[in-house]
Amino acid sequence: MKEVLRVVDLKKSYHKNEVLKGVSFSVDEGETKVIIGPSGGGKSTLLYCINMLQRPDSGEVYLDGEEITKGKVRVNEARQKIGFVFQHFNLFLHLNALDNVRVGPLKVRKMSLDEATQTAVAALKLVGISEDLWSHYPAQLSGGQQQRIAIARAIAMNPRIILFDEPTSALDVELIGEVLKAMKDLAYGGMTMLVVTHELEFAMEVANEIMFLENGVIIEKGPPREVIMNPKSERIKRFLGRIHKEES
Amino acid sequence: MEKFLGIFNRFGSLLLSGLGYTMFITIVAIVIGFFLGFLLAVLKIYGRGVLKWLAIAYIELIRGTPMIVQLFIIYYGLSQTGLVRLTPLQAAIIGMGLNSAAYQAEYFRSAFLAIPTGQSEAALSLGMSRAQLILNILLPQLLRIVLPSWTNELVALIQYSSIAMVVTIMELTAVAKYIGSKTFLYMQSFIIVGIIYLALSFIFTRLMVYFEHRLSIPGISVTKARV
Repeated sequence: MKEVLRVVDLKKSYHKNEVLKGVSFSVDEGETKVIIGPSGGGKSTLLYCINMLQRPDSGEVYLDGEEITKGKVRVNEARQKIGFVFQHFNLFLHLNALDNVRVGPLKVRKMSLDEATQTAVAALKLVGISEDLWSHYPAQLSGGQQQRIAIARAIAMNPRIILFDEPTSALDVELIGEVLKAMKDLAYGGMTMLVVTHELEFAMEVANEIMFLENGVIIEKGPPREVIMNPKSERIKRFLGRIHKEES
Repeated sequence: MEKFLGIFNRFGSLLLSGLGYTMFITIVAIVIGFFLGFLLAVLKIYGRGVLKWLAIAYIELIRGTPMIVQLFIIYYGLSQTGLVRLTPLQAAIIGMGLNSAAYQAEYFRSAFLAIPTGQSEAALSLGMSRAQLILNILLPQLLRIVLPSWTNELVALIQYSSIAMVVTIMELTAVAKYIGSKTFLYMQSFIIVGIIYLALSFIFTRLMVYFEHRLSIPGISVTKARV
């Protein structure tokens, strides 16, 4: 399999607090990798460093074999190929659903209006947003609808990989399912994905590998069944126990 | 009442031209202030080094000194140096425009900060440049947020345009003073222009409130957008 993303010894500190202490891994084409771990463990920071919304202090990120952490690289061009789905959706509040998805293809990819519209419509359909919602504005939509539109916004850029930063954490319980379904469809459709989440069932079902990130290092990684059912480290056992308790 | 009508009969056209000056100065100044103010706000937030420092210094300097002093410097001070000779109208427009820019810059700046940062992150994550982010995402929201403050600035500027009389412009207030000196009906002539100012402010305020509602983003009430 072709390697899409490679992260090498990534480090990041805020003031004197070292959040990432040298993280390395790679994601191959079509793979879904899931990162779990306690909050404050560096999961979000890791994603933000991969698409340079935060500058890593050291280490390298390669996209399709090309280093994007080098100073001279055009960050904007690299970001076009890296989709990002945020915990709080971050839809553009002044644009309706269709325009939220269309603005990237139109303004960044410089597509014609027709082409951008087709791309956006296809992406919206993929995440199950029906036509009657396309003219709705974010403030008129449920969290689940907003997050699915945010996923469509990422898809419409035709990225090499999509990063998900706890995409269901800000949602009411009854809305989580529709977002996870959209993500599963995406994964089964062959999209390369890196997902930070606490949704273990989702991880069990679609992840090729689970990584457990705590205190800025990957403590354990492996196939979901092994990591979740049969973790080697005590810390993961405790963490998983806490999650199960929260769920029940 | 006869006295009021008498003033209108004798000085109607003068009042009308005074109104013209007042409106012209106000509108040109607020437009100059709008563009310069926006630039200053962008520099203050996103600028680096000297540019950022210059923007901050400019805003502080203008807001820290009276407009009338600024006008005297631009009109009398500059002509004394012999470098530039501005006409009274040019001096008034430039002076008030430069002044309004500093205030509008602060309105823009707080409007920038009122837009949730997540939207900027999302725009950048799509690969937008900073210019694209500002143009496509921030500016359309910014203008909506800034509208109420802009209404204030417009109304304030209508009143402040009376200061233009110190550089010999015959705008409304100067006209009233002139009429007073000709007729000794000071009370009546100043009440007349006072009512004109009041009417102008009222009309513009209603117009801006109309735009505020017209442009409000569906699902977000106008009052909420003000935050």
